[in-house]
Amino acid sequence: MARISRNRVTVLAVAFALVFGSATTKSSAALDVFVGARKVVNGQSETLCNANAKSALSAVLQDVSEVGSGDTGEWKAASAPDSSGNSFAGAAIHCYPLDSGYLVMFTCAAQVPPNQDTASALCAKITAAFGTGGPH
Amino acid sequence: MRGAIARRIAMALAALAVSIVWSGGAAPAAVDMSVGIRYVSPQGSQDECGAKARASLAAFLLNATESSPGSGDWSAVSANGIAGTPTAVASVRCYALPKGYVALFTCVVQLPDNPYSADALCLDVAHKFYGGAIAVLPPIPTPTPIPTGCATTNLVGTWVSDDKPGLTFTMTLTGDVTDSDGVSGNWGIKGNVVTLTYYGNHTMTISADGKHLRGDGYSLTRKC
Repeated sequence: MARISRNRVTVLAVAFALVFGSATTKSSAALDVFVGARKVVNGQSETLCNANAKSALSAVLQDVSEVGSGDTGEWKAASAPDSSGNSFAGAAIHCYPLDSGYLVMFTCAAQVPPNQDTASALCAKITAAFGTGGPH
Repeated sequence: MRGAIARRIAMALAALAVSIVWSGGAAPAAVDMSVGIRYVSPQGSQDECGAKARASLAAFLLNATESSPGSGDWSAVSANGIAGTPTAVASVRCYALPKGYVALFTCVVQLPDNPYSADALCLDVAHKFYGGAIAVLPPIPTPTPIPTGCATTNLVGTWVSDDKPGLTFTMTLTGDVTDSDGVSGNWGIKGNVVTLTYYGNHTMTISADGKHLRGDGYSLTRKC
């Protein structure tokens, strides 16, 4: 009887050790923000910037929206939320009209871990998805 | 015999499930981003925008710097939060127009560690930049200092086994214990009685100088 009890305690202890051993290997999350690229696209309209911004953010993130009443040129998106509804990455694309075309800027943020991409890597993906800024 | 093995496996799985739920109980932080505030000045240069960006960021955050000289991209970070890293970042991006400039404001905070939202931060930075009501932002909670030395009120530090060569334990402020093989457990202290959960529960006694732990088959000495 005593031997069975000892075995059970050992099994429980090993199970707890396994879980807590893996849990304590996680490093604490840090906020990572990247002030990304900016560029001027000549000969194109802000409308095209808005379309490209929506498309680029949708290709990488979720919940894409234009801030405000819908004609601000300020776009944001977030990563897929976890089961608690928390999102661990976000990005913004700022479109601003110029006489010659438009100005576009990228800003990204991530909490690493749990997010796999750093803010810089996230911005690289979104900038690539945005492309040259001309019609796709 | 087969039934006994099955019971042991079931018990181990149940213990694992309980442990996972328990260790995963703390809600992870989330990223909160504020986008959309922009200010267009009909006059002034990008340098003037930069000077105002630096001043408005420095009013609420630390290390307001331009990402590269002349870029017009300014950002700053909060003081370190309870995890020892900044929990808020704001940026002001200046762009020269034919007449004047445009400044775009973006803020990011980590919740729940940061005591205010990204919108609250961005509104204050923007209002500082172009004028407007400033709300008082709560201070960032400071990291709990890690105790040093051989205090008798905690076990924080590195402990060396007196009789098992190579075996050491690292004990943290949060009550975690990890041995030199990576096996982890927990510690607690009440008076001079220590409970060490490590391959079972062990009741031990800490010496008056806080340097020795003995009992239940263990004899440890703290490096301090």
